[in-house]
Amino acid sequence: MDKQHGLIAKFDTPADIMHAAEKVRDAGFKKWDVITPFPIHGMDPAMGLKRSVVGRFTIVGGTIGLTTGMLMIWFTGGSELSLPFMEGYKLIVGGKPYFSPQFAFPVSYELTILFSAFASIGGMFILNKLPRHHHPVLKYKDVAQSSNDKFFLYIENEDPQFDDEKTRAFLNDLEPVEVGELEE
Amino acid sequence: MSADFSPNPKKWLLIGVAGLAVSLIGFFVDTQIAAWSYLIGLIFITSIAIGMLFLVMIHHIFDAQWSVIVRRQAEHYISALPYMGILFIPLFALTYFGKDQGILWLWMNDAASLHGHGTVGTDILYQKKTWWLSEGFFWGRAIFCFVIWSYFAWAFRRNSFAQDEDGEAKHTFSSRKHAAAGLILVALTWTAAAFDWIMSLEYHWYSTMFGVWIFASAMRASLAVMLLTVAYLVAKGPLKGILNTKHLHDVATLAFAFTVFWAYITFSQYFLIWNANLPEETFWYNDREQGLWWPISMLLIFGYFLFPFLYMLQFPLKTNYKSMTFMACWLLSMNLLDGYFNILPSLKDDHGEVFQLFSDPTNIIWYISGVVGAGGILLWAYWTSFQKTKIIPIRDPRIQECLNHNH
Repeated sequence: MDKQHGLIAKFDTPADIMHAAEKVRDAGFKKWDVITPFPIHGMDPAMGLKRSVVGRFTIVGGTIGLTTGMLMIWFTGGSELSLPFMEGYKLIVGGKPYFSPQFAFPVSYELTILFSAFASIGGMFILNKLPRHHHPVLKYKDVAQSSNDKFFLYIENEDPQFDDEKTRAFLNDLEPVEVGELEE
Repeated sequence: MSADFSPNPKKWLLIGVAGLAVSLIGFFVDTQIAAWSYLIGLIFITSIAIGMLFLVMIHHIFDAQWSVIVRRQAEHYISALPYMGILFIPLFALTYFGKDQGILWLWMNDAASLHGHGTVGTDILYQKKTWWLSEGFFWGRAIFCFVIWSYFAWAFRRNSFAQDEDGEAKHTFSSRKHAAAGLILVALTWTAAAFDWIMSLEYHWYSTMFGVWIFASAMRASLAVMLLTVAYLVAKGPLKGILNTKHLHDVATLAFAFTVFWAYITFSQYFLIWNANLPEETFWYNDREQGLWWPISMLLIFGYFLFPFLYMLQFPLKTNYKSMTFMACWLLSMNLLDGYFNILPSLKDDHGEVFQLFSDPTNIIWYISGVVGAGGILLWAYWTSFQKTKIIPIRDPRIQECLNHNH
């Protein structure tokens, strides 16, 4: 057998997995997760998860987008700055001032949204450690049932509290259908 | 209802009547400013009640779960709509029997002189609009609007309170049908009201965005009042343990959404006029750059959009009663300021100079009395209705889902 990655427990109902998650959370495990066929309402607090920090990425992206739009329009139409390969060229359009925030705003607003979306998706990838093409859990024989009607909870052996015998006993106390082993 | 909580509607009736009395004195002391302040206060308070009516209709049309408890509070507020109609009668009397009929809506007085070019009667821009801006049609529309609003307010209240007694599902279905028709009718009548009461103050000017703007404004005002209401009822006991921070978060999120919506609409109106640069449209904004109106317009951008936007972007602040109470008070004051900004600069002297907000300190009395009068009546209607009915719709089909609603 290959190196062990962790232990996995199978449950029958959403209520069972929820109570199990609460106990694992209270026991202080850090490296663990649950796999369910559908999102279970209240699972985040049951697992002790905090609010996602993806919003931080979004606001940084949005601010960069707004600034980029404003600076770009100011540079191309309202400045005579010389940058490498680029020259600002003052140009009057429709009798309007060289630069005013009014007409720069719609474009900057669109860039704000675009950059926020990019930053959110990028932030989600970074926080989820994506892209990741394989996970040890996928080797587990019953894992396909997690897209149908079974609920899984696994604890990785990298968890500081992990101890093969004790954790196995702990998982058995949660009254799962069965406890199995994950291979690396 | 908890035993130690006893609202006192009479107190609010007294406050309202006192405000109305001061406004009435104002009609004789400083007729013009008192009448304009009264109009601003009345539109502000009516917009709160209309926003509540929209909230009820949106709840029914989406068959929403989370907002059942919140909807009951809105149902109390919309009982004020017929009273708002009654409060319009003094303005009718003032423009019909008064010495100067064009004291509010200048076009009502054909002989009123326009700065630089003749009188209203000889103004081609008025002559082309007489079919819409004629007094009979104008007041007819106002009556029609209030009849429509009062009917829908009555229908939703009847359905909801009757369901408390018998628990029949037919009341919910009836409300849903009313909501479908009501959303269209109230949207159209509220737009017409904005055109009549606010835009026709400056009948040369027109904006197709105005109806949407006043819708956004009504939603923001009513959501701010809703935040204050739920925060108060949770703090005082009646909704303690029933309404949780998730409900608060959802109302706050709506307030946040309409912050962005308001900014979008207001900017769109400004941007199209700025970009087209046509004198018959731009003068409206030029007037609003005179004197104190310029810093006020800046305050609206940063205080009514940017600050609430950044504030309500934050989850911890949206789920906290205290921080949302502060934001609701802030939004309401800004909403009122936005009302002044849209209405008061349309008042000009014989030389075409725009009226300034603090040109005379005694004006502040009329500003306050205009809002307090109608506001007292609104709260009197709310607490009277509150006392008569159950605190939450106990037999609503969605009440269990609403009570279980959580983060």
